[in-house]
Amino acid sequence: MMELLQSMLDARMWSLVASSTWQTIVMVFLSTIFSMILGLPIGVLLHVTSSEEQGGIIPHPVFYNVLSRIVNILRSFPFIILMIVLMPLSRIIIGTSIGTMATVIPLSIAAAPFVARIIESALKEVDPGVVQAAKAMGSTNWQIILKVLIPEAMPSLASGVTLTIINLIGYSAMAGAIGGGGLGDLAIRYGYQRFNPAYMVCAVVVIIIMVELIQFIGDKISARLIAKR
Amino acid sequence: MEIKLRNLRRNYGSLHAVDDVSLVIPSNTVYGIIGKSGAGKSTLVRLISMLEKPDNGEVYYDEKRVDNLSKDDLIEERRHIGMIFQTFNLFSSRNAAENIAYPMEICHMDKEHIRKRTEELLALVGLEGRGKAPISTLSGGQKQRVAIARALATNPSILFCDEATSALDPQTTRSILALIKEIQKKMNLTVVMITHQMEVVRDACDRVAVLDSGHIVEEGVVSDIFSAPQSDVTKDFLSSLTNVQDSMVRWSKDGGHYTLRFRGSTTDEPIISSVSSATGAIFNIRAAGVQNVNGEELGVMVTDIGPDEETAKKAVALLREKRVLVEETKVGV
Repeated sequence: MMELLQSMLDARMWSLVASSTWQTIVMVFLSTIFSMILGLPIGVLLHVTSSEEQGGIIPHPVFYNVLSRIVNILRSFPFIILMIVLMPLSRIIIGTSIGTMATVIPLSIAAAPFVARIIESALKEVDPGVVQAAKAMGSTNWQIILKVLIPEAMPSLASGVTLTIINLIGYSAMAGAIGGGGLGDLAIRYGYQRFNPAYMVCAVVVIIIMVELIQFIGDKISARLIAKR
Repeated sequence: MEIKLRNLRRNYGSLHAVDDVSLVIPSNTVYGIIGKSGAGKSTLVRLISMLEKPDNGEVYYDEKRVDNLSKDDLIEERRHIGMIFQTFNLFSSRNAAENIAYPMEICHMDKEHIRKRTEELLALVGLEGRGKAPISTLSGGQKQRVAIARALATNPSILFCDEATSALDPQTTRSILALIKEIQKKMNLTVVMITHQMEVVRDACDRVAVLDSGHIVEEGVVSDIFSAPQSDVTKDFLSSLTNVQDSMVRWSKDGGHYTLRFRGSTTDEPIISSVSSATGAIFNIRAAGVQNVNGEELGVMVTDIGPDEETAKKAVALLREKRVLVEETKVGV
């Protein structure tokens, strides 16, 4: 017990926790952006090519099924394995397969199919009557996507983004296992491998605080978007 | 703009939703299409408004064929029609003014023009100063007014109303119908009104087509149809209307054996008395009423005629001579 308290007061630990937290923030922030860039078009494509009953505006069963299958396969990969598989890709793009920046790439790719499904289901909730009205007024497909589907789905999209960020915090902690940096890395290397529970506790507490904070902000934004309507 | 339909057909699997419909909807009128649910009216309006392509047949706007347009032409043509819906279908992500602005935005109109036109349209539908209101804060009637303004934004020549008043209470229905009629005159619109409510046809339409299982069973000027319905479906619609009508006075729960319909000038004559004294027939009036259809008075009377069948036949013949439409009512109706 004394030992735990003593190491808690250790200044070195706090600076490590601070820098790991920062690494996690950077990792999650960048991979959220990249996974959105990858996932948004896929999600939109999935929705617009789905069957007419599902609200698709350009139904294309073959395309939809192929894309849907690919998304499912990527989603069923255990994250840790996907990370290892994608390491060479990081080496090609970033030049290294170790460290925070190198982790962003597998993280983004791993989260993209998840984002795609979140976007697809958010767009599915848009009232088909509203889309029909937009069509009857002579909207092009692009106009329906950009001016109707996405704005109408905004509250669910916002909760989708919240969910994605929280997922990525979890994923990024796992990335620590293979030298990805961040709070997960700290917990494993110092907490687990060096038998120092203080590090473990600290890392977990910081992660919990981050998740709570993101959820709180995300809920507030969704509520604000709904209240404006 | 005149709309012509030629042998329109649309099947869903083995269901003939619209089966060989030919129709001319004259320019500058309010044209009603009435039918029970499942009669194919929604499909028909989707075909006429270019939202769906027919399996067979042609749709013309004036002389232009519109059922086989290419994708780009279709989008362009849709920008010249307006449409309103039962559930309003407004964008919840936009306020009232932004909803009205949408059809102009997608045509890339000048911002200043859009702003001015939106103000004009808000005034036209009686919602001045409510432009900033979020859609959820508006009542059903106000929502439909915004939808009408949005449909009219690009100065269309045709307005489609798909059950536009079915979700509204009777009072709001009347005010929305009055607004549609007023706008029709102001903008020389051709209004196509799909409905299952006979009172909508009575209060707003000039002509009507009655649709039953994909076919047009009756078509004509509304006052003609009301005074001399031909098909059973139409009579059914009319009887449901007269039963709920406030103007109908009813003394007896049992229906009479004859339904008399008379219109305009004949309403003023003491027909029943003169027929009674000429033939010796006894009238037992069960229910009667007068309703106003497009400014014309139409009378309905449900009655028994006695004392015997012989006299009744004579009375009926005499009534028919006096241009009263006599129907033998089925028992139980």
